[in-house]
Amino acid sequence: MSRRAAIVSRVLAAVAGGWLFAWGFVVLCLALGRRAGLSWADAQTLAWLLVFGVYVTTACWSFCAARAARVWLVLVGGGLLMTGAGWGLMAAPT
Amino acid sequence: MPEALLQALAMLSSLCGMGWLALAMEEHWRQVRGAGVPPAARLRALAAVAIAASLALCLAADHPSIAVLVWIMSLVAAVLSVAFALAARPRWLAWLVPASR
Amino acid sequence: MFASFRHSMTWLHTWAGLVLGYVLVVVFFFGTLSVFDREIDRWAIPQTRFAPQPMPSFDTMLRPVLERIRPEPADLAAARERAGGALPALTPVEWTAYTTHRDPVLLLYTEFALGKDPAEPDAVLYGHATIDPRDGRLLPGDPLKLGSEFFYPMHIGLHLTWHDVGYWIVGLSALAMLCALVSGVVIHRRLFREFFTFRPRKHVQRSTLDLHNLTGVAALPFHFFFALSGLTIFAGMYFPVSETLLKPQAQVAQAAEARARGLPARAAGVAAPLASVDAMVAEARRRWAARGMPGEVGMVQVEHVGDRDSVVAVYRAGSDRVALLGQAIHFEATTGRVLHEEPPATAVTGVNDFLTGLHLQQFHHWLLRWLYVAGGLAGCACIVTGFLFFVEKRKRQHARAGVGGARWADAMAVATVTGMLVATTAMLVANRLLPEALAGRNDWQQRAFWGAWLLAFVHAAWRSRPLRQAQPSPAWREQCIAVAALAWTAVALNAATTGDHLLRTLAQGYWPVAGVDLALLIAGACAAGVAARLRGRRRAPQLEGHHA
Repeated sequence: MSRRAAIVSRVLAAVAGGWLFAWGFVVLCLALGRRAGLSWADAQTLAWLLVFGVYVTTACWSFCAARAARVWLVLVGGGLLMTGAGWGLMAAPT
Repeated sequence: MPEALLQALAMLSSLCGMGWLALAMEEHWRQVRGAGVPPAARLRALAAVAIAASLALCLAADHPSIAVLVWIMSLVAAVLSVAFALAARPRWLAWLVPASR
Repeated sequence: MFASFRHSMTWLHTWAGLVLGYVLVVVFFFGTLSVFDREIDRWAIPQTRFAPQPMPSFDTMLRPVLERIRPEPADLAAARERAGGALPALTPVEWTAYTTHRDPVLLLYTEFALGKDPAEPDAVLYGHATIDPRDGRLLPGDPLKLGSEFFYPMHIGLHLTWHDVGYWIVGLSALAMLCALVSGVVIHRRLFREFFTFRPRKHVQRSTLDLHNLTGVAALPFHFFFALSGLTIFAGMYFPVSETLLKPQAQVAQAAEARARGLPARAAGVAAPLASVDAMVAEARRRWAARGMPGEVGMVQVEHVGDRDSVVAVYRAGSDRVALLGQAIHFEATTGRVLHEEPPATAVTGVNDFLTGLHLQQFHHWLLRWLYVAGGLAGCACIVTGFLFFVEKRKRQHARAGVGGARWADAMAVATVTGMLVATTAMLVANRLLPEALAGRNDWQQRAFWGAWLLAFVHAAWRSRPLRQAQPSPAWREQCIAVAALAWTAVALNAATTGDHLLRTLAQGYWPVAGVDLALLIAGACAAGVAARLRGRRRAPQLEGHHA
């Protein structure tokens, strides 16, 4: 893979993969917050307060990780997993 | 005491604190005093007191949520001021460490 | 992909900084101007140059104006087109009156439903009015508020409104800024030792890097918290979870919470008159004082206008603390009975209110505002010195290799940095030069802004050829001269067209206009100073030789 393609891959992983991971984080955090008894607004606000710390971390990691494949796997896979888990928690009866 | 005076004193206190912190470093001490070794431990202790005093003054002047912001920004302004003074007119910082020390 | 962790962070810092730095410096600069947006409004609209007023009587002054508000003409025309040419039925659903301690004029908004499901975004239109609270009259001609209606929207969305793409670009640049701050701290080897270091007499690359490090590290808490708070303010746009994936659960939860608060979520569909809002405002102020936080009214909102289940919410202006508006009290609109008093904020809400308030700054604290300006300018300096360092480091290599990279990076830097200063000062000049009675005066002022910026772009590109021989571009100096000339002209024009020259405004203590004039004079002087220094530097011959 050429260096240019490798860079494009890392940038896409950081921005798009990172966004998907962050989305999953928000869903899961919201669900866990509701389980903990927070109001909807508070659970959502808490998720939004924390998510950018997560996004910056994954963005930086996207560039210093040894293999891009691992980055894609963790960010996309993790994002989908967290989205599913959070959604599942919300659908389940409390 | 009127708020404006407290705020002015807080700014001054932050400036002194950052000035002393800078002077505790050998390179900046030499810029201001020409030669010698700074009494680093004493200067850093003075700096800590001045910075803490600045926070106390800010809290006395305003609601805590605003006071914290004013304090942090006063430290930012102080660092920039001290750095520019060291770059352009180091002698201006000489009053922080009178020769008798 | 990179040899080491440090190497990867260096690469990230360089490219995140360079690529998005052009956007960031614009966001930072117009953000800095936005600290004093309302003061710039006063400069731009001379008929509003009077002292800030408290919220006037709702019943006698505001209600008649709100009842007469119509939707924005452009939005109404678009809605008519969507409905196939028929005039849509309009029902006002919400009234808002808003003011701060810095506003002489009052903002009024009305939200209209188009008779369909109000949850549909297309089914809602907005109208607004700006009035003089001393007599309730509309501001004639609805002049453009240069600060709050132009420079501030430039800061949050670059005026790129097509599908909110501007907000996304600004958000991405804020994320890049956080990455640049983190990576910058990681790669800065001597962060504590060089905390106060600035060596202007060393060679350009060293002194530029010193200044970049200084402005970055000294104001690090400011840069970090402004980027983070900016992102959290718009988090709902980037992660609209409650409107998409979890919409059903959100609606159920929010309806339950509204019921628990005793506030009707929907209108009953039965018309009913509005009781005295002034009495509700008085009651709200009494309750705030009883809680040990006496204050002024910041916002009054009437929901489900004209309905039996209408609710009036009165918010306290947060001028003495960081949180913006708060301590809302909700009244039953038909009777004036208190339905719900907002309890003290939860920990999560408190943190969020603090972050939001620290960024949006409605507090009454002139010292902190000026300190914010210092932080904002430090941020601009950090980004600009970053560009300059990048160009300095690479221009010789690129010139030798015949590659254009450094040339275009430099041209973009001029076009963005001095270009935006040229555009801003040109707009202020246009604001004073354009005849008051000119039709479309607001549009012409905006054209002056964009036109001047485009000219600066073209000029920067045209004058950047010397970079091919690793020589500095004369564009920086030439645009600095333009900025100085425009800034001083703006001050002179203000004096000539309004008579509020600096001596008069200083004598009267009318700081909004005096402050803008003084800032323009100082900015012009700085630009002239920079131009003079750049001339001196160009005289020293470069020994790289001629390009064959």
